[in-house]
Amino acid sequence: MKVALITRRLEQRTLLALLLTALVAVSVVSLLVGAGTVSPSQALSMLLGNENSEAYFVVWELRAPRTLIGIAVGMALGVSGALLQAVARNPLAEPGLLGVSAGAAFAVALALVLGASAASLRISVAQVGALVGCLCVLGVARWRGVGNDPIRLVLAGAAFSALLGAMTSMILLFDQRSADEVRFWVIGSLAGRRLEDLWAVLPSMAFCTVLIALIARPLSALALGERMASGLGHHPQLIRAMVVLCVALLVGAATAIAGPIIFVGLVVPFIARAFAGPDIRRTLWFCLPIGPLIILAADIISRVVVSPSELPLGVLTALCGAPVLIAAVRARRLPML
Amino acid sequence: MSLSMPPRCLKTEFRKQDTAALLFSAPSIKAADEVSVIPPTGYWRWSGRGTSILIERRAVWVNTGLLLALLLAGIAYLCLGSLTLDPREVISALAGQGDMMTGFMVQELRLPRLVAACLTGGAFALAGILMQTLARNRLATPGIIGIDNGATAFAVASVVGMSVSLAPSAMALTGAVTAAVLTFGLAAGSGTQGYRFIVAGIGVGAVFGAITQLLLARVAIDTANAAYPWTVGSLNARSGGSVQLLGIGLMLGFVAALALARSLTILRFSEATANGLGVNAKARRVQILLLSVVLTALAVAVAGPVGMVGLIGPEIARALSTPRHVPVVAATLAGALVMVLADLAGRTLLAPIELPVGIVTAIIGGPWLLWILMRPQRSHA
Amino acid sequence: MNNFRTPPTLATEALDMGYGTRRVIDGLDVALPSAKVTAIVGPNGCGKSTLLAGLARLHKPDGGNVLLNGEDIQRLPSRQLATQLALLPQEAIAPEGLTVTELIRFGRQPHQGWLRQWSAEDQRVVQHALTAAGLENLADRPIDALSGGQRQRAWIAMTIAQQTPLLLLDEPTSALDLGHQIEVFELVRHLAGHGRTVVMVLHDLASACRYADHLIAMCDGKIIDQGAPATVVTPQLVRKLYQVDCTLLSDPDTGSPLLANVRRATEPA
Repeated sequence: MKVALITRRLEQRTLLALLLTALVAVSVVSLLVGAGTVSPSQALSMLLGNENSEAYFVVWELRAPRTLIGIAVGMALGVSGALLQAVARNPLAEPGLLGVSAGAAFAVALALVLGASAASLRISVAQVGALVGCLCVLGVARWRGVGNDPIRLVLAGAAFSALLGAMTSMILLFDQRSADEVRFWVIGSLAGRRLEDLWAVLPSMAFCTVLIALIARPLSALALGERMASGLGHHPQLIRAMVVLCVALLVGAATAIAGPIIFVGLVVPFIARAFAGPDIRRTLWFCLPIGPLIILAADIISRVVVSPSELPLGVLTALCGAPVLIAAVRARRLPML
Repeated sequence: MSLSMPPRCLKTEFRKQDTAALLFSAPSIKAADEVSVIPPTGYWRWSGRGTSILIERRAVWVNTGLLLALLLAGIAYLCLGSLTLDPREVISALAGQGDMMTGFMVQELRLPRLVAACLTGGAFALAGILMQTLARNRLATPGIIGIDNGATAFAVASVVGMSVSLAPSAMALTGAVTAAVLTFGLAAGSGTQGYRFIVAGIGVGAVFGAITQLLLARVAIDTANAAYPWTVGSLNARSGGSVQLLGIGLMLGFVAALALARSLTILRFSEATANGLGVNAKARRVQILLLSVVLTALAVAVAGPVGMVGLIGPEIARALSTPRHVPVVAATLAGALVMVLADLAGRTLLAPIELPVGIVTAIIGGPWLLWILMRPQRSHA
Repeated sequence: MNNFRTPPTLATEALDMGYGTRRVIDGLDVALPSAKVTAIVGPNGCGKSTLLAGLARLHKPDGGNVLLNGEDIQRLPSRQLATQLALLPQEAIAPEGLTVTELIRFGRQPHQGWLRQWSAEDQRVVQHALTAAGLENLADRPIDALSGGQRQRAWIAMTIAQQTPLLLLDEPTSALDLGHQIEVFELVRHLAGHGRTVVMVLHDLASACRYADHLIAMCDGKIIDQGAPATVVTPQLVRKLYQVDCTLLSDPDTGSPLLANVRRATEPA
């Protein structure tokens, strides 16, 4: 029994290492492949030391920031999905589906129309919007037992995001000037995002990392139920509040950089749980490579399929995420996390 | 109750009287009997020569009221806009009198759009109430379970010219059928009553929504921009042909729905009960599904996915009506009314900017949907 | 119109039924006695509810026939069947807000049409159904506001209004407490006393003994024994059906068998 556990641990270590290798490989591909005129072989020869100013510009100024942003966004969305699912005890709780991303997008659109434009301001606004969205959804979940039924909660979230989406569209129509600025961003994508945005969100992401490290243990105790967790000496209310804060900061940051991208927070923990089992700490570890892997893979595909133009990233994540949602719903018994 | 009473009190004395005589006497309708017939509470009865027709009073009032409201909303719709007209001017313009400019404004611009609004609203709401009844699920409207999105994706394919020369209506129909087959196929086994069915439908809708985006991303930016308002639901981008097609479809569909009304009422019970009452539930449900899908597709071909009307219209109709029937007529009228008012609001509230009607209905319908979800669950002891 | 004077006959002929590849009922031949209360009993999964679904044409047989008055029911039009045979499914759900009378009126549906929506006959039958089920005082009460027993009686009243000589009930008392169970059973006896053929699937052997004229004991999709409860129910049968031993007594009032000292079987059946 114990031996089996250890080998399983070992297997998981190997698996994690494999995933990290895959991530590195995908990152390299992400540097090499693009919608533009620089071919993979040109980019490769440049990386190997040959002079090519056009390739240099495209790879280091366009594709490298894009890859870095993809990694950050993937990690943030994957981890926040796993956290939200653990705290809502609902395998379908996804920041995009439940309206957290829509809250962030709405807040940014509102702020832009009201005259804000600085990049850093946009991030904090998005984070506040995500927080409000998160609180709304969890408030709904506690209301009259809506949250006891995972599927009902998802429906409420979908209705809430649809509403926020319509309001965002309305704001955009209302103000043509900011519309042009926002419309580009309101469709989730990694194309043309600025590296400065990434630097601007790094502090809050670092803060979240520390916070998650602190609450991971009590959070896994929370999976045993609120009473059990208090019995083990934890404070469920406090843990929940901190998780909500983390989710809001992470989703807000990711949305501020890349725009709303849905279904990633559903798919990533779904796969991670398949590898890691039910324990939230191990799931979080697995989310770290899987999230960027999926985002980068989707991004690469989005550059290639309709080349020379590009596909919004959200389209691809929806195409692969919706079947996962349907499969999860069709499963006879939805495990309560 | 059972705790506070001794069991003896629960024993019910059934009347022994002339029940046997009642059961076994051959039914006979005599003229003398006719006099003593009292219509059930809330109905008018019209009878003569072996026929008897019941008319629900409430339904008459509700439908008349909705029709009047629709008429008023229609006049307001023709009056208001970039150029505000007097109701008298509108009426004389409709009669073909008055000055040229007003005549053009009313007859060529606003009236066709009003007609399109009424037809699409009616069709969406009728399709909505049919689907809800068929699935025995208040949330199962074509808009929510992905059928609108399926129709939109296929219709966009024809608009952006993916080497398809078929009319948008035909393409929308293909898409709607595909989405319906997917959603109902995926729900097979788990039934259509629970929330699972709805979420599966949302998933299907998300796939088709993504396909729409993908199609738009593939074409030139101008074509995409032209198709955009239509993908969120707008009466701006309608083509005359698809409106005519919708008019014919709605007329036939409405008659078919009326013919199905009695079965619809029974189908609200479980399948077994419906069969026990002599309704061939399976066959009827296929007919109703087909009707609902066709109506949705024709309406989407005109206005894009304004699916929320399919939720709001039936909700209003049910709130106004009694639970004795499925309010098919009231839902159609309420849908048309909502669509006319929503498009009027979209045209005038933020003028000169025009809000697509799909956004207006989403903003009204979203909270409504949330409210439905938040209601306490109905419990069955 | 239906001839109520000659009692209807309902029978099966080499009936096979199942779900997918799983066979639940295998070559079953049974004739249901007219104007009597028949109870179908057996352990969980023995096929008793499936048999009832087959008799009511809810579930298509894989082989064999269900014969109503000698005719295959698969060939009968839905509406004609509904004037011959009424069914109360196990979990009947009514649309929200319907009152008792409104529910009962739905029972008239098979007799009505677009041009014949409410006749003197309809009025009389609905009134009779209300009286027969003892619901006159609750006529305008919403279904949701009734107690379990009252609600079940309202549903049975709907099937009474259907005026069918045959009535099939699927576990009519499964969710009711003892008092409410007795309400329903006495109504059933009352109906059979006036010439209806009632067939019900029952979970509880004791109430089947008490209220049925005819007992059909099923196990693994086959009929083990059938007949009057007093002759059919033996300790051997009870052991075969439920793997329990018991002592059988005779009810001093009615003479129907009573099960006492029920315990787990000590030897295999």
